[in-house]
Amino acid sequence: MYKYRVSKNSGAGSWVVQRITGLALVVFMIGHYILMHYQPESGHTYEAVLARMQFSWYRIIDLSFLVLGMYHGLNGVWNIFRDYKMRPWARISVLSGIILFGLAFVAWGFVIIFSIPYLS
Amino acid sequence: METDTGSQNTHRKPKAFDQKNWISENLNYKKDSGNWAWIFHRITGIALIAYLFLHIYSLSPLTEGEVAFNNKMATFSSPIYMAIEWFLFAFVIFHSLNGIRIVLVDWADGAKYHRHLYRLSWIVGIILFLAMGAIMFSHELKNLF
Repeated sequence: MYKYRVSKNSGAGSWVVQRITGLALVVFMIGHYILMHYQPESGHTYEAVLARMQFSWYRIIDLSFLVLGMYHGLNGVWNIFRDYKMRPWARISVLSGIILFGLAFVAWGFVIIFSIPYLS
Repeated sequence: METDTGSQNTHRKPKAFDQKNWISENLNYKKDSGNWAWIFHRITGIALIAYLFLHIYSLSPLTEGEVAFNNKMATFSSPIYMAIEWFLFAFVIFHSLNGIRIVLVDWADGAKYHRHLYRLSWIVGIILFLAMGAIMFSHELKNLF
């Protein structure tokens, strides 16, 4: 019926999500900068990190920031690739590479955060 | 069929894109503020995702405990790393402000005032960049004066 196969995915969903995650990241980033850099010690000593990580909600915020940032960043990278004409095998390789890379680094982030002990 | 003549011929046929010299084609086209915003948004975006990977890697000594982490952080408090972090902030601030500009263009009729927004994001960005420098290097600045 059709001469060319056309993707059913217009990209509109990911476009909206990219804007929403971007705005959320601006909010997270302001908090991150105030918390981490207003006093150099707060972001750069083990003691300060350990003290913060006693609060589970802080770990949750940190990991949400990581997941949002990774999604927004890698979706951005994928959007750059989408600007170019790619053969199907190249598309699949690039996309799966991006997803695997992102998942690996997010997993590493989770391992790092949960390696910090709770002092009870 | 009538043909365009003289003064009516305002729409010139665009020059075909030269695939072989795609780098110079991309460097040499006439750029308005929006083109620059797009270019800088890409460059800062790529740099920031690269930094996120680096950030996870540089925080990984947290798994090895206090001594390893504090040793790693000691290297980052040297003036060279602090200067790099200051420029990292410049990338963050441009990407954030231009990102807000993009959202306004998409969702708040910003296409009507996108040039003003672009200029505004540079002005606000430079002010925030200098303010961040003053906060980061407050200790060094106190010693200077």
